[in-house]
Amino acid sequence: MIRHHPDDALLVALAADRLARGPAVVTAAHTERCAHCRARLRELEVVGGALLELAEPAVLAPEALARTLARIDASGTAQGERDAAAGALAATGSREAAASPAPALSRAEMRFLASLPAGMSWPRSLRGSTPTPWRWLGPGMRWSRVSLADDRAANVFLLRIAAGKSLPAHTHDGIELTQVLHGAFHDGRERFDAGDFDEADGSIHHQPVVEPGGECICLASVEGRVAFDGRIARVLGSLVGM
Amino acid sequence: MDIARRVIARAPAAAGAPRLTVVTPQRGRGAMPTSEELNELVRAVATNGDRQAFAVLFKHFAPRVVTYLVRGGTPPASAEELAQEAMVVLWRKAASFDPARAGVSTWVFTIARNLRIDRHRRGGGAIDGRDDADIDLDAHPDPAASPDDRLDARQREQRVHAALRQLSPEQARVLHLSYFAEAPHAEIARELCLPLGTVKSRIRLAMINLRRLIDATEP
Repeated sequence: MIRHHPDDALLVALAADRLARGPAVVTAAHTERCAHCRARLRELEVVGGALLELAEPAVLAPEALARTLARIDASGTAQGERDAAAGALAATGSREAAASPAPALSRAEMRFLASLPAGMSWPRSLRGSTPTPWRWLGPGMRWSRVSLADDRAANVFLLRIAAGKSLPAHTHDGIELTQVLHGAFHDGRERFDAGDFDEADGSIHHQPVVEPGGECICLASVEGRVAFDGRIARVLGSLVGM
Repeated sequence: MDIARRVIARAPAAAGAPRLTVVTPQRGRGAMPTSEELNELVRAVATNGDRQAFAVLFKHFAPRVVTYLVRGGTPPASAEELAQEAMVVLWRKAASFDPARAGVSTWVFTIARNLRIDRHRRGGGAIDGRDDADIDLDAHPDPAASPDDRLDARQREQRVHAALRQLSPEQARVLHLSYFAEAPHAEIARELCLPLGTVKSRIRLAMINLRRLIDATEP
């Protein structure tokens, strides 16, 4: 049961493609496993469609339509052949094979995925992004920097914290988004389970504690400078490059 | 009379025979195709490869998609190129368009947005994991797939359109900028003279009101 969801301001930005890449992959990691938020997202797409209808039309080059029709004609044959091939595959019962294949995983990605607990689902929004191997951060704490294929500068990382341990205490200037991928933590006020989402701004100085019973893995995106407390903080800070 | 002629005949700018050219998009409000007409146009493209129908869809959507892209920071030349690509996608996928799931304007909006994501970012994929190769979705069944929750898309769109018209001008502006501005929060703060920190709550408030109006609209 997912109880903590991204707010409308975030979902509108996701629906309109107005989020930076880091926040977008973390928010999408939530919506892809939350049917409730997918329904909200669809509603926001309807709003996007309605606003598109209301938008002031731009003036196009006079030959824009002719050029588009020419593109359709040029691709028509190739498309027809693909459709025929897809039809043949469908006829033999291998419909999945006709669907566009997921990008192949690199060896580093496969090694990393093998290091995850059994049963943990890996967000599709991270497809093609390579996490570094788990790095020691403190007793019972490991982290991995996720390098996004299309935005190397994004501050996205995974934290893997053992049962009963605290996440490193920190404050930040900007917004921190967290999606719980596995396990659960308690932030002193509320419990966050796998599938839950949290948004914290700089005013929150938090030190969530992982629930007893199992480790917790979170995906996080941070905008702005992060200040961790103590020695661990300095290690993480220097590694994340803040 | 076929659907393309019917829609064009209502547009005062193109009272004569429909031509396969882009007329300057100066059409009165009355000339806007209705959502049923848009559905019919897409069906004509899907079943007959109807180029007149496609031309009407193109004239309606391509200039608006360009506006969406240019306002969002895409250079005009690329925006026009992407809008053409969006319309090519519409042509190709017309047969898979399901009017019970979404209206044409929603569909075109998502096509344009996804092309923008692909263009600006490469890799990644659909923002909510609903892509063609999706096999894990069974684990999280879509509520919209269940019959009771699947309010007819046309009805839903009409309600959203009506609700947007009833929203206060300021809230309508907040939503417009949220979708169209390149840096929505900064532009909303500037245009409405708000501290940046309060912009999110304005967006949330606008959405709360929009939902209230949608729910209050009689089907």
